[in-house]
Amino acid sequence: MKFGIFYEISVPRPWDREKEKQVFDNCFEQVQLADELGFDSVWCVEHHFLEEYSHCSAPEIFLTACAMKTKKMRIGHGIVICVPQFNHPIKIAERTATMDIVSGGRLEVGTGRSATWNELGGFRANPDETKMTWDEFVRCIPKMWTQERFGYEGRSWGMPVRAIIPKPYQKPHPPMWVAVTSPGTEIDAAERGLGSLGLTFGSFKEQEDKVKNYRRIIKDCEPVGSFVNDKVSTVNFLFTHEDTETGNKVGRRLLGTFNFMAAQLLAAREAVPTKSYPSLGLLPTLRREAAGPGDAAGVPEGIAIGDPERVLRACKKWESVGVDRVNFLLNALETVPQEQVLNSLRVFAKHVMPHFQDTGAQAAAAGGGR
Amino acid sequence: MPRSGRMDVAAFAANNVREIHGFKTEAWTLKGAQILNIHYEIDNDTVDDLIPVALRPAIPAYAIFNVTHYPESPVGPFSIGEVRVGSRAAVRPRGFVLRSYVSTEAAANELTRRWGYPAMVGKVYLRAFHDRIVARVTTAAGKEALEMEMIDRDFISGNDVQFISSMHLTRNREDGKLVVVQVDPEWVFQKAERGRPHILKLDSQSWAAGDMLRADYPISASYTIADVTLSPIRYFCDPAQDAFRGTTQVAA
Repeated sequence: MKFGIFYEISVPRPWDREKEKQVFDNCFEQVQLADELGFDSVWCVEHHFLEEYSHCSAPEIFLTACAMKTKKMRIGHGIVICVPQFNHPIKIAERTATMDIVSGGRLEVGTGRSATWNELGGFRANPDETKMTWDEFVRCIPKMWTQERFGYEGRSWGMPVRAIIPKPYQKPHPPMWVAVTSPGTEIDAAERGLGSLGLTFGSFKEQEDKVKNYRRIIKDCEPVGSFVNDKVSTVNFLFTHEDTETGNKVGRRLLGTFNFMAAQLLAAREAVPTKSYPSLGLLPTLRREAAGPGDAAGVPEGIAIGDPERVLRACKKWESVGVDRVNFLLNALETVPQEQVLNSLRVFAKHVMPHFQDTGAQAAAAGGGR
Repeated sequence: MPRSGRMDVAAFAANNVREIHGFKTEAWTLKGAQILNIHYEIDNDTVDDLIPVALRPAIPAYAIFNVTHYPESPVGPFSIGEVRVGSRAAVRPRGFVLRSYVSTEAAANELTRRWGYPAMVGKVYLRAFHDRIVARVTTAAGKEALEMEMIDRDFISGNDVQFISSMHLTRNREDGKLVVVQVDPEWVFQKAERGRPHILKLDSQSWAAGDMLRADYPISASYTIADVTLSPIRYFCDPAQDAFRGTTQVAA
């Protein structure tokens, strides 16, 4: 089991130049600390126009800065939107190869298609097309990375033969993932040999069934890349504190703020009648599961909020259902003061990480330990 | 922090709100309803003034322009045209109804009495042509409130359509208090189509929105035929409090 951190970069109103800079600086400080503490990776979304919720429209810049500020962490582009109005596939291949070089071969490339009308409408992308363009992009990108020259005539895009440069530092290429939000996307991931980058919570039972299904199907996959990435990641909130009441109270505030903020966005499904988005997508699913009835402390099942003991139990449970990595969202609208976020990372590294084989040694070396 | 409504509900209610006769009513199932729904983005700068504090605006701001013909009902056939502002009650997507124009007085009265519709009598026109679906709403005074159409009709499945529940600002006759009631119909689709939306005419004042309602950017259009059940009211909320805190469940 590995642990990563995950950024939407949410910025509360009123927006001024100092506010946005402060939020970015806070994120960088968290990333540096997480790297020192033994967190495995930093992930960052690509979102556009999602007021307050996510000011992360240029993740490649943010993540490059993270790479420059860290030594060991994997750099997770989670996800790059594979819709031509957002990103040309050639640019995706070029940018990600460059990021892999400057990070010294630490890049992970998540792929996806956006799930809000805010974004799809803003770029005038057709929601009916996004699944198809994603599929086309993920078949092309690894070839652009690995073939000396590449040419293509496809459905949504094409190009004459050219040398797409530079090539990634990792050989044959960085691991690839797909964001799993809509039901059945885990099957798409498995069939293509892509890692499953879960961005919804779901119940343990639901997740266990999905993981089993994914592992069964990926055995017979037809990989789009040069190798199979058979890993399963999921996303979670993280706030922990030695004092149980503080852990629960601040954590619930984080959860509630995120839910309210996410709820205001306009899901593609709510705006447009289409079979391309069978569910309301990432945000409402996050909301529903994260807003469940909760335990005695009012924290929903499986959410990594509370004292370290409770957070450890949640993580152990995720491990038991077959999840390989949990990526944690640390803040929303800066509702948790920076000092508390940093403390929460330290507490997690000290009390929780050592109980997991993959991360325990790193955490101990970084000053954690049982 | 996330935006929320800031409508002056007392001023809005003064000439736009009618009385609901308590929260207990039986369901109406209205068969074979023809429903034209057009989604448009509206002005982000004014939307907060078009919904009560109880609700939060969707981002981006949008409205649902709806015209429905009910060929049968307990008060005979009627048509209704309304504008719903896309909003959120706590974390749930809802449409706040600014005003409803109903083609018969009997239907307007029953919809108000039972479900708190902000209903006024008006002329409501809905016709399906092979190349387009056309709808028009005209006030009792003859003012054209809305003209819209869906062109390039394309068949889809009813499963591809998502409708959201409505919120009506109304005054409860039993205690005289202003409340926002949630009306959550059930739809059983027989046929569904989508097409390109087009609003040809929109008079903001006719929808009790002053000069604040403007159709800025087209999103989508659907035309469906469905059996609609107007269920008994389950929730209402205090217009002056966020719905997360101010929602009350109607006792069974």
